[in-house]
Amino acid sequence: MSKDKKKSKGFSSTLFGRLFGKKQDIDSILQEEQMQSPMRTVIKNFLSNKLAMTGVIVFLCIFLFVLIAPMKYKLDLSFQESTQTNIAPGFDMMKLPAELKKNVAKISIGPSYGVGIDKNGTFYIWGKTQITPNINLRNLPKELYGKKVIDVAAGYDHVLALTSDNEIIAWGNGRLKQLDVDPDATRNGKIVQMIAGYQVSAVVTDKGNCYTWGNSAVTDVRVKQKQQGKIAKVAFTADAMIGLSKEGEALYLGSQKNMYSEIPEELESGVVDIAASGQSCAALKEDGKVVIWGSATKGEKDVPETASKIVSLQGGRFHYTALTEDGKLLAWGQNNYGQTDIPANATKEPIANVYTGYYQNYVVSESGKVATFGLKGYLLGTDELGRDLFNRLINGGKMTMTIGAIAVVISTVLGIIIGGISGFFGGKVDMVLQRITEMVSSLPFLPFAMILSSIVGGRMTETQRILMIMVVLGVLSWTGLARLVRAQVLSEREQEFVTAARAMGVKQMSIVFKHIIPNVVSVIIVQATLSFATSMLTESSLSFLGFGVALPRPTWGNMLTGCFNSVVIQNYWWRWVFPSIILGICVICINLIGDGLRDAIDPKSNER
Amino acid sequence: MLKYIAKRILYIVFVFFMMSIIIFALYSAVPGDPAMMKVAPLKDTMTDEQFEIIYQNTRKTLGLDDPLPVRYVKWMKTVVTLDFGVSSIYNRPVLDALMTPMQSTIFINIFSVILALVITIPLGIYCAVKKFSKFDTAVQVFTIVGYSVPVFIIALVAIFFFAVKLGWFPVSGMNTPNFQGNAFEFFVDRMYYLALPLFVMTLSSLGGMTRYVRAAMIDALRMDYIRTARAKGLKERVVIYSHAWRNALLPVITLILGWFLSIFSGSIVIESVFALNGMGRVYLSALNNMDYNLAMGIQMFYIVVTLIGNLLIDLSYGIVDPRIRITK
Repeated sequence: MSKDKKKSKGFSSTLFGRLFGKKQDIDSILQEEQMQSPMRTVIKNFLSNKLAMTGVIVFLCIFLFVLIAPMKYKLDLSFQESTQTNIAPGFDMMKLPAELKKNVAKISIGPSYGVGIDKNGTFYIWGKTQITPNINLRNLPKELYGKKVIDVAAGYDHVLALTSDNEIIAWGNGRLKQLDVDPDATRNGKIVQMIAGYQVSAVVTDKGNCYTWGNSAVTDVRVKQKQQGKIAKVAFTADAMIGLSKEGEALYLGSQKNMYSEIPEELESGVVDIAASGQSCAALKEDGKVVIWGSATKGEKDVPETASKIVSLQGGRFHYTALTEDGKLLAWGQNNYGQTDIPANATKEPIANVYTGYYQNYVVSESGKVATFGLKGYLLGTDELGRDLFNRLINGGKMTMTIGAIAVVISTVLGIIIGGISGFFGGKVDMVLQRITEMVSSLPFLPFAMILSSIVGGRMTETQRILMIMVVLGVLSWTGLARLVRAQVLSEREQEFVTAARAMGVKQMSIVFKHIIPNVVSVIIVQATLSFATSMLTESSLSFLGFGVALPRPTWGNMLTGCFNSVVIQNYWWRWVFPSIILGICVICINLIGDGLRDAIDPKSNER
Repeated sequence: MLKYIAKRILYIVFVFFMMSIIIFALYSAVPGDPAMMKVAPLKDTMTDEQFEIIYQNTRKTLGLDDPLPVRYVKWMKTVVTLDFGVSSIYNRPVLDALMTPMQSTIFINIFSVILALVITIPLGIYCAVKKFSKFDTAVQVFTIVGYSVPVFIIALVAIFFFAVKLGWFPVSGMNTPNFQGNAFEFFVDRMYYLALPLFVMTLSSLGGMTRYVRAAMIDALRMDYIRTARAKGLKERVVIYSHAWRNALLPVITLILGWFLSIFSGSIVIESVFALNGMGRVYLSALNNMDYNLAMGIQMFYIVVTLIGNLLIDLSYGIVDPRIRITK
């Protein structure tokens, strides 16, 4: 080694030498050994351990990620979205097939997929089409093959296609009569609008009649006899249907009295277009004024100011888009998935058509180009309540790591104090402390933590409960470290430096904590690292069983709670695979680091 | 030796009473008013004053207003006679309700312990003898994964592959519903259902165990007497199994027993995941349904098991290592 050094005195080493002081050449291995302090040996040993270093790097990456990412991806505990449940990972929700991109005739949007037809009448479907474990909307019905499709409509869990020979083909989930097409729909006149909503569908004919079918228990659809013959257009909210009469009046097409049925008076005439979001309705007046009614809690009422007149309206899940007469595109409402952030390339060319539905928007330009914005998909999919798994994973990771870290701090402090006192003073103090240690260590950990959490935790707020879990984990797991510290202190206290300190009249407590403990710090670090892993595992197990951090606040453990049935395991694999992998990797890395540290500190164990 | 045993037993009894204080503290923290629960059904049949008198009488007979030490002694008396009260979810005395789950838990645990020992001990010894070989390195990596990954994740993966994808085993349960057949067929059916949980339990304990056996064995193999034995020209097999293994056994015994105890509480997860009718699952449902009589009974069971286990560890130390019983 020393030979190499003498030979290679390149530019960089000279520069390094000039900048940081020259390292003396080492003549023999013996000298090198003498120069190194024990701490440096430890660090050198550790750095040369590839497995442990990989562990450090991976763990640090995960750690920093779950620490920093939650600042950007905030957790909304009350969030749930029934239209986005159990969606597979991937960003292909708005990925139109290349063939369709050239000549779009119509696009219709479902919660996680899209359907469209081109000008030749060919049908396309894209996105996440697996709507239940058994039903995939991509499995087109046989009747559709070879037919020319002139209109399509995508619903919550079913799709409608109108063929050129005036036949409506429906497929998807038919459990609630979504697929039982009303036979009158195709008999009385030409269909001018076909629309599918939450388990219901409707068609409007050129005679002004509206025919509906599907699950009318959830959605209040009942077109009154006096309304028939007047309808020009209909729109679905999540649970109601509104219509536009040929005379320009906004109508409520249902039998109940609710927030949608109280139509503002100004909409009795002069309405040119209607649209509906999940919980609100919008109507466009002749003068370009947009009137919103219903429950507009997510900013649906904040219609942006615009110089030119609005000419058409489209409704998404909780947002609206509108076109003005000079071709400008406006979007307002909820913006959690970027569904109102209009990209520059969407408005570059004159807009021919805008299709908005759920969280997606498609802008078709007059030259036939398609620009999309809104929800592309989810990196890791969604869970049973439609929550983004990625968001929960990072926020859960933060929680898991925080609890683990604080529990380790508590247990380490307790372990050092009790072990140090016990080892140094010996005698009766040692005897008592040892018995306490044994007692705590023979408390069955998991059951005890569970019963504590059940009895005491029930009366606590969420924060108190989380604190309690940290304390319980810490208070029940210091015994291993205490034993270790005691044993180390027992051997250290016979050393000369302790005698010297005593002779100088140093106080006993400061001998223990200032002179002896620093000498056993390496053992403590190893033990703390390993018990960090254990704490994380225990927290996960507790939360998994439902006695740790309570839902809806996520941790890596309780994210797996709902996953133990064969339907989830088989069909919604992303719900358990990702939390499992990250928890597994994290604990493996911590254990690798702990093992590496132990090997580095204790040369004897290197031989193992 | 006798004196040593007596000392240990005395100590265990002491610890048991200390523990019982903790449990009693928990017990008195249980929410709800037992007296009110008892007399609540009578409330509609009488006037408020009459009810108040009866309520106060019940409080007196139940001893709810006694000072804490008195209540503790009373409670201890019932605990020592194994009377934990009536379980509200089973509507039976706690001990009675626990008989079947206890049997299945003990069966599952002992079976998986034996299974794990049969695998880990030879594996650990082999890895120690052939340390740093490719096989050993592979096992080392595997064992780190094994003891890092929580048991419910192993269970998920096992269910995914063996129950859902391959369909070899049922996903959960202990027996085919409404199973008809003789005792042997019943046993076979039971084993078919238990195969996957046992597999998962064994797998999850392989990691730590193998590492421990290996480390103990390496330590033993480094001793001077091993060199002496080899120098004497003894066969390698004799050196390993007779000289080294016997000395490595000492730490391993502690581990086995300690682990045996942890597996009792660890099987809570397994039992809840696979819907096995064991103590852990009963404990879980008792806590979820606030049946604290039952939960306390099980908690006591866990503590007694732990204490007996600790006693066994100490005694086995005394048996295996003569130095210990002499010095103490």
